[in-house]
Formats: sequence, structure tokens, C-alpha cells
Amino acid sequence: MGAYRHFPIFMITIPLVGAVLLPFLGYLRQKWVPWAAAIPLVSSTILGSLLMGRMPAGGYLSYHMGNWDPPFGIEIRVDYVGLFLMLIVCGIALLALFFSRLYIFKEVSGGRLTAYYVLFLLLSGAMLGFVATGDIFNLFVFMEILALSSYALVAIAGNRNAVRAAFKYLLMGAPSSIIVLLAIGFLYSATGTLNMADLSARVAESGYTEVLMVAFILFVIGFGVKAALFPLHMWLPDAHSIAPSPISAILSGLLVEVSAFAVLRITFSVFTAGATNLVGGTLDAVSVFAAAAVLYGGIMAILQKDLKMMIAYSTISHVGYIFLGITAFTAEGVAGAMYHMLDHGLAKACLFLCAGSFIYVKGYRRIEDLKGAWRQMPWTCFAFALASISVIGIPPTAGFISKWYLVYGNFSRDRWPYALILLLGSILAAVYCLRVIYYMFFQPGKEGAWETVSKDAPSSMLAPIWILSAGTLFFGLFSSLLIPSLLRAAKFLL
Amino acid sequence: MRLFHNYHYVAAMLLFCIGLYTVIVRRNIIKKLIGLNIMETAVFFFYISLGYMDNGIAPIRVGGAQPGQMVNPIPQALILTGIVVAVSVTALALSLVILLYRQYGTLDVDHLMRQEEDEGEGEKGKGAEG
Amino acid sequence: MPEKSTFSVIPLLAMLLPWISLVVILAMPKKSRRLRLWLCFLGSLAAFGVVLVMLPGILDGNTYTIKLAGLVEGLEMRFTVDTLGYYFALILAFLWMLATLYSISYIDHKENRFFAFMALCESFLLGCAFAANMFTYFIFYEMMTFGSYPLIIHEETTLARRAGYKYLVYAVSAGTVLFFSVVAHYFWGGGNLGFQEYGVLSLEMASRAALMTIFFTYLAGFGVKAAIMPLHGWVPDAHPAAPSPASALLSGVILKAGAFGIIRVVFNVFGVDLMRELGVFIVLAVLACITIVVASIFALTQDNLKRRLAYSSIGQVSYIILGVAMLTHDGALGGVMHLTHHALMKGCLFLCAGIILVKTGKKNISEMKGIGYKLPITMICFSACALAMMGTPPSVGFITKWLLGNGSLEAGLPVYIVILLTSALLNAAYFLPIIYIAFFRWDGDEEEKGHRPKLVFGKEADHKLVVPVVILAVLVVIVGIWVTVPGFPYSLVSRVVNVIFP
Repeated sequence: MGAYRHFPIFMITIPLVGAVLLPFLGYLRQKWVPWAAAIPLVSSTILGSLLMGRMPAGGYLSYHMGNWDPPFGIEIRVDYVGLFLMLIVCGIALLALFFSRLYIFKEVSGGRLTAYYVLFLLLSGAMLGFVATGDIFNLFVFMEILALSSYALVAIAGNRNAVRAAFKYLLMGAPSSIIVLLAIGFLYSATGTLNMADLSARVAESGYTEVLMVAFILFVIGFGVKAALFPLHMWLPDAHSIAPSPISAILSGLLVEVSAFAVLRITFSVFTAGATNLVGGTLDAVSVFAAAAVLYGGIMAILQKDLKMMIAYSTISHVGYIFLGITAFTAEGVAGAMYHMLDHGLAKACLFLCAGSFIYVKGYRRIEDLKGAWRQMPWTCFAFALASISVIGIPPTAGFISKWYLVYGNFSRDRWPYALILLLGSILAAVYCLRVIYYMFFQPGKEGAWETVSKDAPSSMLAPIWILSAGTLFFGLFSSLLIPSLLRAAKFLL
Repeated sequence: MRLFHNYHYVAAMLLFCIGLYTVIVRRNIIKKLIGLNIMETAVFFFYISLGYMDNGIAPIRVGGAQPGQMVNPIPQALILTGIVVAVSVTALALSLVILLYRQYGTLDVDHLMRQEEDEGEGEKGKGAEG
Repeated sequence: MPEKSTFSVIPLLAMLLPWISLVVILAMPKKSRRLRLWLCFLGSLAAFGVVLVMLPGILDGNTYTIKLAGLVEGLEMRFTVDTLGYYFALILAFLWMLATLYSISYIDHKENRFFAFMALCESFLLGCAFAANMFTYFIFYEMMTFGSYPLIIHEETTLARRAGYKYLVYAVSAGTVLFFSVVAHYFWGGGNLGFQEYGVLSLEMASRAALMTIFFTYLAGFGVKAAIMPLHGWVPDAHPAAPSPASALLSGVILKAGAFGIIRVVFNVFGVDLMRELGVFIVLAVLACITIVVASIFALTQDNLKRRLAYSSIGQVSYIILGVAMLTHDGALGGVMHLTHHALMKGCLFLCAGIILVKTGKKNISEMKGIGYKLPITMICFSACALAMMGTPPSVGFITKWLLGNGSLEAGLPVYIVILLTSALLNAAYFLPIIYIAFFRWDGDEEEKGHRPKLVFGKEADHKLVVPVVILAVLVVIVGIWVTVPGFPYSLVSRVVNVIFP
């Protein structure tokens, strides 16, 4: 095992350390900052990939910080699903970073450049830690780092809208963090430990059922705000549409997924299936909200005129999908939810980056202005179309596979309405996505709005867009790579 | 009876609710931030009181102190971290407030929201023309 | 599936060949339009050739299978070419080849997009034909919906856009319903979505209510493409709006994809016995009958030639459904054979309509006085096919009607014969006037001195337009006479039906 044992902690700390060192480099040579910022993320990706093949037989890798054994020390616990998610985070963050190199000059003034990359690395490192940690208070700490860097990144453009959107986000996000802290407090008071593996054992035995139930509800509320579950989603449309596009990509593609993953972990790893009586009622309520999210997000997306707002509302809808999968409490449902985190991350990041591409080349934000876009920007348009197809859930993209498992997982006696709502959400997605595709490809553009020659975004921006887009197709065609292990993991969780 | 016995928990929750109320209801942004801080303090209070023991001594190994008599140090460690986090959040929030005030000239949330609606249409309407 | 299924790459090859056309379009420079389009035709020709290669093996009773991708146990993308699937693939590839040839001359703008999506559509439809289970079928079916959209909207007129929009609304909703049915099928079918000769589902697996839910959702999902009333709304708009080769394919093949889905569901998923037990075949039959009659009535009222043909298609596809719903040997034989028969006849009719449009610009029947003299070959072929549609021997249309009539006697429900006769009458009522106006009326025949124009044989349309028309018309007759030639519908379908109804 040797050196590989340390990989997870390196994956987390290298970006964080990089974030601390970057300002010094920025002071010396600002031009090098984007490239320097890539180094930690690249190394994390490499470490993660190397680790993927070397996971120990037991199925998870446990690392004790400072060699303090749990439950006294903090444990980093990485299993297949966790590592998989970490790699997604690294990958998408890296692609967004490459996209940012040219794009960021559009929205952020030069003086803030270093700050942008520092915050970016903080965000990425914190997300990696968030996913990997096995200690619940550590989860809170990483969540805070995550939250703070995202508040700042939303505001980074510095203009009126950005600051206001960021503040709205903070106004909902900060109380949610406090709520999570309170929940952790309740959990600790009822069980006496902070280690998640230990907690799962003690939760079952503990006699303080009311306390635990309240703790669970608070967790759901706290992480639900971060994951933008209806009705705690109010901050998302503004924040995601006003943030710079690569940041929107990360927020929608990673942050909400990771927060939903936290709920998944809390539900299944901490409050294990043995304690269903604790979580059952809350999960039923969450199902209703998730269903409402699917419909609300879809309908609002149809009504939007601004492209990024539409994509943001689509995120709200898809968060509903993920939660409907989690609350289905079946192996297929949970596997579907996890696969949806992957494919929604890829597709949504791609959509936001495409929107960024349109803004970069032409400055167009409204959907109306995209009529006839494909003449000038075919690459962007085709990538957008492919990613939309995944969002709608049409074969053979990854979105179809996750939709299949989500619907199938909800196909039991008392959950069939949710299956129908998932399908309805898919129709709504078809409406808002196909409308944009129709405008792009089949409508003639306004006079002078688009040039007839292909003058698309620069390759450093197109490459990430296409990698993400091809990824949705790849993970749809070759879903057999991941689905069996996800199903096994899900069965194990249950 | 239990309610009186756990008076510290009750107080913490009361404080939390006061803070939450302030965050939600008050129009002035600074007051909301103060409410946020009150919420945070309430949670810290809750944590520390978790570890309390009657006649407990400080958890420092000095002069033959017995572990069994010490108050629980873990919540205290957690809260130290929590305080740092709370300070950072407040700092970030205040810097955003400064920026907000500079841009909008008001600290009233309702005015900010109304401004948002007014210019929301205008701002996003500036697509091809902008 | 029958036990001995040999592995073969040929189905996959056949499905991928049209992609060559796609590559060609993307790769070749702008100037060489002719070369590009002819290469596309070669692509479809090659696809047909590859499909043809499997014929001897299929006639021997082999099936070929290849697994494309496996998700989990029971959910895999697999091609298995059994006789029924091969039958569909054969007519599909054949008609596509002719339509591509026709399109080279017909399509004059935005050819790249048209040919590219034509090729993609063919590929997806071959995927449907070769599908070994509902999962694969569904995947290719969905992709085919989106592949055919640019074909409908090709002209980009307001009419075309509206038709395309309607098509999408119907098709996407149908796709969602179908998704539900496939998941339900998977759930209650014990995790097996495959097609088997006598059906997979049974009352042991699930309750009556569950099975009926699965059936009706399948019916709704496939019924939209198969234009069963009241789900037919997109058809009359899509056919006139699309360019003629696309209309021919729409009527000849794409509508059949829906019908084929229903055939698979009835025979290979539910099985005849289960259908009889559940009694749902009655609903199927009733809907089919209603569609046949009402569509024919609507056809009478249309002046636009393509719209009339579109309504005719709606009715004719329901012949297939009716044949299947009869649950008898001859009924099934006639219904499934009609898949090819109608494709041949209606394909020819639509291509003729295209020639008329290209040469004279006329869309409405009332304007077509005397075109039989200007476009004799075209109109002769048109008349031949029209007579075939009415069921005149010795054409394929007659074979279908005969078999369906026999089938209804076997089923003991002579009411079907009444429906068939009514339909034949209505067919005559809307086809004969066209022939009459074309040959027995001419410009100036109102006047005293007007004399019948001469038949001008030389100056017909471009041979690329005429050759497919003639081939199809000739086949309509030949297949009707020499029915038992191997490779013609009877040889293939009878095998299928003989297994199901021993």
C-alpha cells in the first residue's frame, strides 16, 4: 500500500496549500498565476486516478490524520463512491479552470485575478475534503471553506448584481451552516462521537431518538439550502446566473451535487438503514419537496429569457431528481441518484461553459439572441445540444441511464407518483432545452447578429466544453463501467 | 421538570431563535449580520454546555488532575474552530456590505430587492443591444 | 430467442454503414456536391447490400446476434436478427436506398443536413429492426425521433416549422410514455426485456392490472408513431410539409416503426395467448377499425395531394394493427405483410407526388387536370399503385385484403370484413378521382373544340426521380403475382406467423 495510503490527504491539501501560496506568486508574476493554479488540480487528478486502481480489498481507504486513531482523531475515509466523486470534482474543476484562463478577463478586473484563482483552489480543495472526510465536524469545516469561497466567487465581478447576488446567497447560506453546526451538536450530545463510522453504530443504540430525529431534520435543512432543494433554493437562480460562467459551472455542477451527496452520506452512512424509523418521516417530506422542485424548476426554466437563469432553474429541477433518488431508498434509486450527480455535473457544467462561450464571443445573454447561432459558433452549439440531450434524458447519453435508474428505483407501490413526476420533469426539460436548440440551429439569426463564417470561441475554451460534452455521451454508452459498482455500493449502503 | 433541569439548553435555543428571527425579519443588513452572530453564539453556547460537569475542572493535565473530573474538552475544541469560522463569515459578510453600500447607497434589504426587480429586467434585457 | 443464435458482426455493420454517408458529408469539400451525394447513395446501397447478404441465412432459419453494450443483467443493448426483424430491415433498407437516389435530384438546398440526417435515421431504424429487446428498441426509437425532425422541417417554411413542432410535441410525449412502459415492463417482467417467440410476460409474473397498464402505455407510446387515432395528429401536417422523399420514408418506414413496435409487443412480449386472456386485443382492434374508417373519410375531404395520401397512410397502417389484433394466422400474415406492401405502394405514390411538384409545381388535386399527358410514366405508376391500394388483383394490396379477410373469418368476426370492404370503397372514392382528373380531364376540355392532348413520353422528369417510381410500381405488381419468391414478404412473414400460430 505504501505511498498510496497518503494520496487522499494529498489530494485535499495540495490545492489548499496551493491556494495559500498563490498570492505570493501573483505578487511576483501575475501572468503565471493561471498556470500555477492548474498544478495543484492536475496533481490531485493524477493522484486520484492512480488511487482508483489501487483501492484495497476492503473497499475503502482509511487515513488517520496525525496518526490519531478514530474515534479520537479525524479520519479520512475514501471508498469507491467517494473516490469517484472526488475524481469528478477534480476533473470538472480542472476543465473550468482551463476555461477561465481566457474567459475571466471578461468579467473580472485584472486586479482581482489572483484572488479568483486563490478562491478557485480553495473551493476545489474544500470540495475534495468535503467528500473524503469521515469525521462529521471536519465535514462542517470543509463546508464552511466551501461556502465562503463560493460567496466570494459569486461576488468577484464586483458590480451591483454580483454583490447583491452574493449577499443573498450568504444570507441563506450562513444560517444554514449554523444549522448544520447545531445538528452536529445534537448528534454529538446524543451519541458522544464525531466519527461517522462510529456514529452509525451508536445512532442505532442511542436512546435519544427525538434528539436524533431533530438532528437529522436540521442536517437536511442545512445541506438542503446548499443543495438548493425547494423551497430552500431562492439563492440559486441569482447566484448561478450572475456568477462568472466557469464559477456557475462549478456551483451548479459540483457544489449542489456535493451537498446532495452529503445528505446521502448522512442518511445512509450515519443514520443507517437500521434506524429507518428516525429518518423515514423526514425523507417522505423531502420526497414531496423534491417532486415540487422538479416541477417548479422545470416550469420556471421554461419561463426564463436569460440563458444562464434558465440553466440555473434547470439545476433546481435536477436537484429534485437526485433527492427523489435518495429518498426512494432502493439500491437502484440511490445508484441512479449518484449516477445523476455525475451526469448532471458534466452536462450542467458544459451548459454553463457554453453560455460563457456565447458571452465571451458575442456578449449575448438572452436566449432570443441565440437564433441562428450555429453558423458562427458550431462547436459551441453542438456541444450545447449534446449536453441538453443528456439533461432531457435521451439515449444514449448518461442522462438517460440515470433517469432509467431513478424511475426504476421509484417504481414501487407507494412511490409511483414520483416516477411519473420524474418523467414529467423530463418533458419540461425537453421544452426548455429543445427551444434553445431550435433557436440555435433552425431559426435564422437577426440581421448582423451573427457572422456567416465560423468564428467560435478560442480552443482553450472549446476544449473543456467538448470534453464535458463528450463525457456525457461516453458515460452513457459505457455506463457499464460504473453502474455495477454503484449498484453494489448502493446495496451495501442500504 | 426536565425543562428546568436543562436550562442551559433552553437558553441556547432561545438565543438561537432570537438570532434567527433577527436574520429573517430585520430590514437593516447590519442587524441581520448581528442576528447571524447571535445564532452562532447560541450554538457555541450549546456546545460548551454539552461538556459541562458540575464541579468540573479545566481539562489541563497539571498537578495530578484526574481525567474523570475534567469538563469535556472536545466541544471546546470544536467551538474554537467554530469561532474562527464565524469570524471569517462575518468578515466576508461585512466586506460584502461595504461593497453593497458603495453600489446601492442603502442598507435596507427591501430597497435592495426592489432595486433588483427594477433593474433586473433592464440588465438582462441588454442582450444584443448591449 | 431461439436457442441457436450465431454471432455475427453483420447487423452491426449494416447499422453503421449509413454513418459513412455522414462522414462523407462532413469530410468532403464544399465544391463536389455531386460526388458527395452519390457517395451517400452508395452508402445506402451498401447498407442494403449488407442486409441482403443475411437473406440466405435467415431463410435457412438462422438468427444472428451481437451484443453491443451491457449495462447490467437484463439491460443490454443487443442486436438479434430474427426473421421478423430482418423482414423490417429489408424493406427499410430497400426503400431508403431508392429514396436516397430520388433525393439527389430532388433536394436542392441544405443537402448536407438532409442527407446527413437521412443517413442517421436509417441507421437508427436499422437499430430498431435488429433490436433484441425492448431496451435497445426504445433507445433507437428515441434517437430516430430526433433524427427525423430535421427531415420534416427541411423546407423551413412556416408550415414546415409548425409541422415539425407538432411532431416533436407528439413524439417526445410518446417517448416519455414509452419510457414508463419499458420501465414497467422491466419491473414486472422480472428484469427481462427480451423478445421471445411466444411472449415473455405471463399472468404469473404480475397482476392483470399491471399487465394491462404495460400494454396500454406501450400502445400509447407506439401508437403515436403508428398514427392510431386519436394520436395521429402530427401525420397530416408532417407529410405535406416534408420534402417528398422524406414523406415517402415517413409513410413507408417511420410510421411502420411504431407499428413494428406494436407487433413486437403483441407477439414477442405479450404473446398471443396472454393477449387473448387479457382481452386487450379487442381495444386494439376497435381502435384500428375506427382509424381505418375515419382516416379514409378524412382523406376524401383533402384537396392537397400529399395530405390525402397522409390520411390514407394513417388508415393503411391501421390495417397492420388490425391484422395483428385479429390474433389469427391469416390476419397476422396479412397485417405484417402489409408492412412491406404499403411501403412499396405509398412510397411510390409519394414519390410521384414529388415529381408532380417538381415538374408542375402543383400541390392540389383540383389543379392536376390532364397531367397524365405531361407526365405519363409517373401517372401510370401512380395509377397502378392507387389501384393496388384499393385492393385490385394482381397487386400486393389485393394480397393484404385477401389475407385480412381470411383472418377475420378465422377469428369468427365478420365485422372486420365489413370494415375492410368499407375501407376499400372509401379508398376507391379518394383514389379514383385522382386518376380520373389526371387522364380523363385536360386543360381546355370544357370548351367545345378542346381535344385530348397527346401523351408525351420523352420529356419526363430526371431519371433519378423516375427510376425509383417505376421500380416500386413494378414491384407492387410483381410481388403481388409471384408471392412466394424467397425474399419477398410471404417467404419471411409466413415463417414468423407459422411459429406463432401453428
